[in-house]
Amino acid sequence: MDDFTISVISNIGLFSFVALSAYLLLLTGEISFGQQAYFALGAYGAGIATVMWGWPLAIAVVWAVAIGMAAGALVALPTVRLRGLYYSIATLAFAEMVRNAFLIFRYRREVDGFEVGPAGAEGFRDIRYIYETGISSFEYMLLIYALLAGVMLLFLLMETARLGAVFRMIGDDPVLAEMQGIDVTRYKVLAAAIAGGIAALGGCLYAHMVTYVEPAIFNVMLGVHALAYGLIGGLGTAFGPILGVIIDIGVLESTRAFSGYRMIVFGGLVAVILIVRPRGLLDETLVHRVRLWLRPAR
Amino acid sequence: MLDFVQNLIDGLMVGSSYALLALGFTLIFGAMRRLNLSYGPSIMVGVFAGTLVHMQYSAGLIAVAAATMIGSAIATVYVERLCFAAVRSGAAVASMVSSFAVWMQIEEAVTLAFPRRTYAFPALSDAPPIYVGELFFRIEYVVMAIVAALVMLVLYAILNRTRFGLQLRAVSQNPVAARYSGINIPAVTLQAFLLAAVIGAIAGFLIAGTDQQITPRFGLWATIKGLIAMMLGGLGSIPGAILGGLLLGVVEAQSQWYLGTEYRDLMAYLVLFAFLVLRPGGLMGTVAVTQDREAARRL
Repeated sequence: MDDFTISVISNIGLFSFVALSAYLLLLTGEISFGQQAYFALGAYGAGIATVMWGWPLAIAVVWAVAIGMAAGALVALPTVRLRGLYYSIATLAFAEMVRNAFLIFRYRREVDGFEVGPAGAEGFRDIRYIYETGISSFEYMLLIYALLAGVMLLFLLMETARLGAVFRMIGDDPVLAEMQGIDVTRYKVLAAAIAGGIAALGGCLYAHMVTYVEPAIFNVMLGVHALAYGLIGGLGTAFGPILGVIIDIGVLESTRAFSGYRMIVFGGLVAVILIVRPRGLLDETLVHRVRLWLRPAR
Repeated sequence: MLDFVQNLIDGLMVGSSYALLALGFTLIFGAMRRLNLSYGPSIMVGVFAGTLVHMQYSAGLIAVAAATMIGSAIATVYVERLCFAAVRSGAAVASMVSSFAVWMQIEEAVTLAFPRRTYAFPALSDAPPIYVGELFFRIEYVVMAIVAALVMLVLYAILNRTRFGLQLRAVSQNPVAARYSGINIPAVTLQAFLLAAVIGAIAGFLIAGTDQQITPRFGLWATIKGLIAMMLGGLGSIPGAILGGLLLGVVEAQSQWYLGTEYRDLMAYLVLFAFLVLRPGGLMGTVAVTQDREAARRL
């Protein structure tokens, strides 16, 4: 595989994490404009861990997920009772607070004779762990997909378990769920924590692939894209958001035919898809039909 | 103390343009109960149309303002048809994401049509600032505040003195009852979008005329400022949108002066987050929340 193919496939994997993160919240009926905040926290947190504290990547991954989950839960605690647009704007406000804080945040120190670390608006350079340890970009792509497969497995297990049913029930009608004895607040905080962890995992992997992050990357565009991926791909299954990422990054960004007009094509495509299928290509009805078809006849 | 008063005055005057953006958002939200993320980018199309007229024909301010309104109205109709009229009722999220997708389209189309980073926009005024005692008033800001106040008065008259205003308020308060009363909801909605486009175009014209330049980033900027101001004031409330815009202007001016430019946006978002968590109804308090809850119950 040439470098271009590897970078496109890796990017699809990386943005799938943010898309899945937004998708999980969509299942519980929350529209978050702010999942890029956890992506940023994961990127900076893990970058600081490997570059400045000399941690191995494996521990930095766990650290990033922990930061993401903690931040997700902490933000959820005050915002969980907000409904609809109020929640969306609160998450947007939080994400922009994080981005603006990283514009100010400076934490520099000397490692091996070089000064490294986040430098406010100039960004965070030289997150070179995978190059220093000799991991090839192909191997790193496999690592991204191994972790993505793990997350996908969790989603598919969740869908067959009670937790998935509870999340969808809360998304459908929180009042009814509450009346069934479900602690809606607790489950929403749980969903936000998991979503934060998934996005932070993606951010950690992203920072180590591109070696340089700056606050501008984590703007609201990233968050709304993540949300759009789930809605184009479909809300019926966790494959939906990944399909959305593939359509955007895989087909449009990588095909030279559309270069320069990518957003015009993508925007029009999304608008038309949402007119025809308001819950995305792989929506619940389609997924249900496929399940019935796959089930052995009795 | 003098600094504080000066910032307060500057903030209120800049905030009056935020208030106009928030009013446009509120009109659309009131009519549809849906969020039009493409509102800022539609205004940007108008402002670029104004720039084009200014560059090609070196037209005067009135022609530029007219071009801004026409461009903004055309883009808004496109957004309304594609993202709001065509998407089924009940799929409010789909409309919002769709309006975001069209935003991407508009932004790329404008970037292709205007490939340079920044373009000049005619200045509202090049008169020197007025001094009142130790306070000074930039003429552009004074023009901005006066025009914004006039627009608010006209809007008040439209909403309370015309048939269209009555219909729009009826649709906003109870769409089902409005339809039974024989109100043509799609037509009223389209008119509300157009009214919002004109108000937004005036705001865009005032802001671009103060900055004297324009970039394709204006779309994002206008959407974000309008959203923050609307949420600060209280979702769906007209007086709230005005107060929210003024409050946002003051918060920005004060934090920029006392904390530094890099803290300006941070403080604005902090205030927004605090408001949403502690007082979700915004400045207008529970009125907006109650209305919103009633609307949600009816959907």
